[in-house]
Amino acid sequence: MSDFMQWVTHGIKRGRFEVSPRLALRLFALVVVLTVMAALYLMLVSRTAARGRHIQQLEAELFRLRRENEQLEVEIASEGSISHIWERAIELGFAPAEDVEFLRPVAGEP
Amino acid sequence: MAEGPRRRLRLVSTLLIGLVIVIVAQLAQVQLVDHSFYKAWAEEQRERPIAIDKPPRGVIRDRNGYVLAGNAVMCSVEADTAYVVDVEAAAAELGPLLHIPAAHVKQLLRSEAPWVQIMSPVSKELGDQIAALGLGGIRVEPLWVREYPEGVLASHVIGFCNAEGVGFYGVEGFHDTLLRPQHVEWEGPVDLASEQVPWRVAPVVLPQPGAGLVLTLDRTVQALAEQELARSVQEYQAEGGTIIVMDPRTFEILALASLPNYDPGRYTDFYGHDLLPFEDPAVSQQYEPGSVAKVLTVAAALDAGLATPETTYHDQGWIEVGGLRIANASRQAYGDQTVADILIRSLNVGTAWLATQMGPGVFYRYLQAFGFGRPAGVDLAGEVAGQLLLPEDYERWHDSNLGTNSFGQGLAVTPLQMISAVATVANDGTRLRPHVVGRRVASDGTVSTYQPMVESQAISPQTARTLIEVMVRVVEEGVPQARVEGYRVAGKTGTAQIPIPGGYDKEGTIASFVGFGPVPDPQLIILVKLDRPKTSSWASETAARSFRRLAARLFVVLGIPPDGTRMAEAVR
Repeated sequence: MSDFMQWVTHGIKRGRFEVSPRLALRLFALVVVLTVMAALYLMLVSRTAARGRHIQQLEAELFRLRRENEQLEVEIASEGSISHIWERAIELGFAPAEDVEFLRPVAGEP
Repeated sequence: MAEGPRRRLRLVSTLLIGLVIVIVAQLAQVQLVDHSFYKAWAEEQRERPIAIDKPPRGVIRDRNGYVLAGNAVMCSVEADTAYVVDVEAAAAELGPLLHIPAAHVKQLLRSEAPWVQIMSPVSKELGDQIAALGLGGIRVEPLWVREYPEGVLASHVIGFCNAEGVGFYGVEGFHDTLLRPQHVEWEGPVDLASEQVPWRVAPVVLPQPGAGLVLTLDRTVQALAEQELARSVQEYQAEGGTIIVMDPRTFEILALASLPNYDPGRYTDFYGHDLLPFEDPAVSQQYEPGSVAKVLTVAAALDAGLATPETTYHDQGWIEVGGLRIANASRQAYGDQTVADILIRSLNVGTAWLATQMGPGVFYRYLQAFGFGRPAGVDLAGEVAGQLLLPEDYERWHDSNLGTNSFGQGLAVTPLQMISAVATVANDGTRLRPHVVGRRVASDGTVSTYQPMVESQAISPQTARTLIEVMVRVVEEGVPQARVEGYRVAGKTGTAQIPIPGGYDKEGTIASFVGFGPVPDPQLIILVKLDRPKTSSWASETAARSFRRLAARLFVVLGIPPDGTRMAEAVR
């Protein structure tokens, strides 16, 4: 022991620390409860983080699908646009309807 | 215990207790007194606003569900400069892909700013290609770009949306707030790279896309109207024009075409041009309607009980109103004529005579009931009110205005106001508010349907039916060029002079025709307006012919059977 520590502890009387079994049991129970609480808290936090991450992934997936959906809708609309259909109709030999005759179904006749 | 050790022990105890008191006091200062300051400081470092991916702008569709304005995905290539591992390698990879010098990329990546945008927008394919390279610190962020799959079709009705997501003109401009997506931002923990740390469950309030709009427009009708307008402008060598197709029973606009037009997806092409084609002439430009307005003068006289179609007057070729001598367009005298003849022969003297019989009070009350002098209230951006001077405006109104206004001169309307006024006649005298949005679809799928709004009962149903019969005679006896085979149609031409400072332009006219059918159950009303046609200045030779061609096609396309078939079905 260094001189300094000896100087400091010189006046301290060594005593006997006796712990009763009852007190020891209580301290042990307290430690157990605190440990369980800490473990539960850790579990809760880690589970929350995992859920949070999962939700983030789902959101990202939702936004990705939304983007793809919008993109596809616009592409379909471009393919089916009037100008596109017009071009295809002309290629296929369609012509505007003229002298259209409206047929009247007669009751009782097939 | 000896005195010396006891004193030393007391000294040490005092020092220790003092130290504990200082520590406790400091703790109390930090944790209790300055609690809020340190809490805010800590949160400022750890919690940052986290923007959730922006959803798309609302989609605009035609009445049958075809997309007129949608959203495409593009990408923005960005860099967190502090996290770029190898600037040389990143610049060497990105430069050729983005078609920019690698030195420029290097300069951006070495910038002191923590975040730089390298290029935006780039195509989704290119964005995916860059993302696949896995370059440290380089991010590829998706972004929405407005897309118009039908190109120039209905450009004036739709308007356009700029790169910042702000809508201008047409429906994009008028319903901008509705179409804009919701922006959600929340405070949350972030890591060093400002990425969200998922240790707290984020609020499940996802941003919602903008509301979708279903227009009353029919893209097929719109395409046919645009095709006919393009043909008419070319055939009659006009400078431009407008065609509006409406359902007179609901005032739903089925087509609204104007030339010159533009591709809303390429609106930036017009930057720097003096004359921008973005404004919709159908609602933003006014003109003197000319003889089409005679329909309203006759309607007013019939409804006021001052005349019947058979009432006669003597036409000496001119009439003086407020000191102004008004003559017929043909400069001829027609002798004894009926009120029906006023419309059939389009007699200025006749309408001026009717207006003087009514007096300004009655005449202008009817014009206002038909919607002149105030915006029609259509849900399109940039609508103007037109111009209708009233006797109360004693500084500008003159007695002669009563005579000239009766045949559509000295007042100005938009094409939409004019077609709405005539549609009022076709709709038993009830004027509704014209509209282009039929339904609104909220992001949760809730559909709100537009309810027709009655603006006024301009004339009685009886007067309207009488007038319609006269207007049928106008087509059959006065303007055979507008006849549609198999259908009874009603209409009226208008050949109007163009006002210029100090008088009227002697060179050009505005030729227009408003017609509807089939009578007696009108399902379509069409306005054709051609600006300064050169082959003929008369509407009967230009606009009326355009009306006939378009009406004939639309009756077929919309499945409206000819009169014979309809009558036979009605009898059964």
